[in-house]
Amino acid sequence: MNRPKFGESACEKTRRYMDAYLSNELLVETTHDLLQHLESCPECTAELEARTRLRSRLKAAVKAQTAPPHLPVLVRDKLRNSQRGRWRFYAVPVAAMLVLAAVIWVRPIAGPLPGIADRAAQATYIQRVSATVAQVFRPGLCDHIHCAFFRVYPQTPPDIHEMEAKLGEEYKALLPLVGPAVPEGYRVVLAHQCTYAGRRFIHLTMRKGSDVISLVVTRKNPDETFRALSPAAGAAGVPIYQASAANYQIAGFESDGYLAFIVSDLTGAANLHIAAALAPAVRQLLS
Amino acid sequence: MLFANNPRMNEFEAAALPHLNDIYRTAARVLGDRTRADDVLQDVYLQAWKSFDKFETGTNCRAWLFKILFHTINHYRRKWLNIRMVKESQEILQTAAAADPPVPEHITDQDLLAALNQVPQDFRSAVLLVDVEEFSYKDASAILGVPIGTVMSRLSRGRKLLRERLAEMARQYGILHDPKEGRSA
Repeated sequence: MNRPKFGESACEKTRRYMDAYLSNELLVETTHDLLQHLESCPECTAELEARTRLRSRLKAAVKAQTAPPHLPVLVRDKLRNSQRGRWRFYAVPVAAMLVLAAVIWVRPIAGPLPGIADRAAQATYIQRVSATVAQVFRPGLCDHIHCAFFRVYPQTPPDIHEMEAKLGEEYKALLPLVGPAVPEGYRVVLAHQCTYAGRRFIHLTMRKGSDVISLVVTRKNPDETFRALSPAAGAAGVPIYQASAANYQIAGFESDGYLAFIVSDLTGAANLHIAAALAPAVRQLLS
Repeated sequence: MLFANNPRMNEFEAAALPHLNDIYRTAARVLGDRTRADDVLQDVYLQAWKSFDKFETGTNCRAWLFKILFHTINHYRRKWLNIRMVKESQEILQTAAAADPPVPEHITDQDLLAALNQVPQDFRSAVLLVDVEEFSYKDASAILGVPIGTVMSRLSRGRKLLRERLAEMARQYGILHDPKEGRSA
């Protein structure tokens, strides 16, 4: 940029270069000339201050807008789907071989995943998968599969107020607890009270792409407890119990009146880690 | 799940996703439409992922994503056809050196954004890149694919139009009196 000669029509030149000065794009010498003029010109100084203020206000106003919470999830979904597309060409024969090997060598436990609208097949699937874990883990696992897994998620997740309203006064304090406990990138996409097989649940669902984590809470039935089992870990004196079935990992803990479960398709250790991070605060809230 | 732990994908997500908000709000402001911004943003990330092999680790990922954003916006703009293009003759209009109307102090963020929406898209893009996202003229020139001189003229024109729109709004609200009216009274 050429160095302008300030002197005659200095105000005109100052105003012409003012924006470049604000963007820190002027030569040192030009900046010096401009500042020298400003020292002796209150009108240009006022103009510069006004432009500086407008710039900061504009920046703050635009930056106050953030992407809707569902958007990162959608972007991740798209990315992963596109990745699958890339691999499809050679993944098909490999997958066919794997399926064949599984049919021959592995006893099928879960069977094929039923369609989203096939309620009867879903019930059979849930029953078959949950039959492999101890009775006390089943409510959490069943509600996770039924409510978080066989579900079409709305494009725009409900906002925090809607989730709080659906959880109710008694349980809405669970919402702020889950965010820090789950791995990076997961977002709460659903939080409500639901019913499965005649039993009431408080259910919070976190998603990252197609990966799903549930916190499921339900009131204990008489004599229902994890205590007959050996705990896999403990957190601040809260014993945590663990089980797995098909692709699902379940970690459970209890308070006097409630059973709580973390169910996910993460590794067993990762799932247990989330349960350990949540157990003390959740138990305190439910007590 | 099969591909959940692809290290290249993880690398891409770690580099690109932290800029999602910046890309989204710029798309929303340039297009003036959040639904379209949603679509454009998804395309930007898809395009970025497809060409991530060409991206050099350690270079400016944010500027790279913005470049893809404006490329995508131009593509959509041709598709939608209803977004007015700025003619070169308008671009090279010299900014009048006369004093601008004063920008009112008591203007809300909503007024500011409404005024920004009234600035033609190409000028608005320059203002958003330099004044809001704080890119240098050089980066903005690379992002928009135009010479630095064009960035400067668009920026200057965009800022001036913004100040004029705000002053006009203020006059409508009765915050600011028209200087001509003042003189004739």
